[in-house]
Amino acid sequence: MIHAIKVAQEERLFAGKSVSVAVITRGRPPGYLRVAFSAVTGLLRGLWLTLGYLWSPEAIVTRQYPENRATLQLTERFRGNLRFKFPNEKAQEDHAAFIEQLAHETQTHAHVAADLVREENETRWYHNCTGCGKCQEACPNASIKVFTRQGEILEDREVDRFVWRLDSCMFCNACVQACPWDAIEMTGGFENAVYDRRLLVYNLNRLAGPRINYIEEEENPDVRKRMVERRDRYGGEVPLNGFALPNLPPVTTPMESGSRAIDADAQARLT
Amino acid sequence: MTVHVRTLDELLHAPLEADSDLTTQEYLVNMGPQHPIAHGSLRVVVRLDGETVKEVIPVPGYVHRGVEKMCEHLNYRQVIPYTDRLDYLSAIMNNWAVAKTVETAAGIETNDRIEVIRTIMAELQRLQSHALWWGVTGMDLGAYTAFLYGFREREIIGEIFEETIGARLTMNYIQPGGLMYDIKPDFAAKVKKLLPYLKDCVEQYETLLSGNVIFQERLRNVGIVDGARAVALGCTGPVVRASGVPLDLRATEPYGAYGKVQFNVVVGTVGDCWDRYYVRLEEMRESIRIIEQLIDGIPDGPYSTIRYNVELTLPEGIHYGQVETARGAFGVLIVSDGKREIPYRLHFRSPNFNNLWVVTAMAPGWRIADFISIQSSLDLVIPDIDR
Repeated sequence: MIHAIKVAQEERLFAGKSVSVAVITRGRPPGYLRVAFSAVTGLLRGLWLTLGYLWSPEAIVTRQYPENRATLQLTERFRGNLRFKFPNEKAQEDHAAFIEQLAHETQTHAHVAADLVREENETRWYHNCTGCGKCQEACPNASIKVFTRQGEILEDREVDRFVWRLDSCMFCNACVQACPWDAIEMTGGFENAVYDRRLLVYNLNRLAGPRINYIEEEENPDVRKRMVERRDRYGGEVPLNGFALPNLPPVTTPMESGSRAIDADAQARLT
Repeated sequence: MTVHVRTLDELLHAPLEADSDLTTQEYLVNMGPQHPIAHGSLRVVVRLDGETVKEVIPVPGYVHRGVEKMCEHLNYRQVIPYTDRLDYLSAIMNNWAVAKTVETAAGIETNDRIEVIRTIMAELQRLQSHALWWGVTGMDLGAYTAFLYGFREREIIGEIFEETIGARLTMNYIQPGGLMYDIKPDFAAKVKKLLPYLKDCVEQYETLLSGNVIFQERLRNVGIVDGARAVALGCTGPVVRASGVPLDLRATEPYGAYGKVQFNVVVGTVGDCWDRYYVRLEEMRESIRIIEQLIDGIPDGPYSTIRYNVELTLPEGIHYGQVETARGAFGVLIVSDGKREIPYRLHFRSPNFNNLWVVTAMAPGWRIADFISIQSSLDLVIPDIDR
């Protein structure tokens, strides 16, 4: 330290209050020889510190990201891609076991085996979503659009397609917090690079249909099957981003009826 | 009193003088918007006479996103993730400013647990922000090693944030009436384990940079601004404290758990770059002290006093609240019409915007290389200037 630096504590009156203050003061500038000496020692001390990493490389905190992919552990609360929770755990486990066995039999990797499966067990896609749209209201960016449909069996509104726009999502977790049914979660997925941004808008639900408890109340397996309908990741119309910002009041003009017609027309085109 | 406001066009097309001894002419040079020292898209036009800076004309606006206008369509919970994107190095403090304003205006009460956790998180963020600033200042002045050391601490504190919150940068953690998540059971133990390490790190910073004669010579007595001028320009945070004004909202109008803890407001005596540098280093030590006092006795209680989906409507009127972020006073001004759950108008008083203009007072008379030191010592975050 070529300049003697002192930190002295004192009480000072400021804005009508006594504030405890630490004042940084410095001594007189040192002479030329002293500066020259400190210059050398100061640099050497810094170099000595960096040299330490040579014999204690375990102190390095850098993570070698693409190389450590296999062992990468993300925390439980990590806010990555949004997805549906699939609460039918038994079906999930059965499916995983089935894929593992298939991979073993065909001597391939699990993700290759998963592609081989044509007919999937639909029960593993049962979800908690009722299509209430709370997440859509909570989203600050209008990244979520929940399309609902009139259910045939239960005669109630139910989720048809849950569209999530990854490209405009800011991962604020508002939708997960707002969901009263614990239907969605943010996961550890973060590798989202694609060559076409249209691939970033997709359906989260695999089944259009009512909430899982309504399906499980039904005993007849045929009726259960009719309650739900498969939905792909892509497919169906895509909402234009932000066409209806939450809480944005509709534009009103003196021509009430005319503006409403325009509004309805615009919505029909955009949704 | 009349004030002549000159437009950017007038400033840029003012006649260039040729009054130098060496019969050179003045000339204008753009620093930025793409410049390694700017840490973002900030354009600064400097009028030079040889190497000497004659005038500095900051031209902000290259990252303007209209956040305040966007917030007029968002309810108060939705405003909070947008504040993450202003001063992204003080995301938690910015969240807190909105939450505090809404809580005060709507009469929402919080409990001790919430306030203590908020304070700990904010101080961790301040440490993280100052660590990054220290590294970046080193890098600006030609010491790349410092950059890597600064990021080392940022990484380690970031891991704690990621475990509790799920994000490292844009956290959206502090909500009106509470927090987004409760802390994990091992949070206190982890932070306690971290504190001695961080103390060591501050000592390492001293060894690596503070003791370096080149670094000292580039900062000492450069860019002096006195307290009165800094206050007149609206500076807050370490910039005004380095000039000897103990303006720290944590001490002058305590919020959160700051009223319960002992800490010093660090002030400088000269008001040069070195004071601004050392004030931040000392503030890191003070932040560690604050966390040490709070981490042992986190009270019990719920982590949020209101449900997430509850409708927040503020009474009609103008509501203002401010907190001390790592860079100064961040204020939120909300005009509410009392009917809807969205603000009628909203304004952010961002510390960096005011801290930017002090370069116009500091830089003239110094060389270009000194201007780099001056700008580094202000610790500017450009998205916070432009909003």
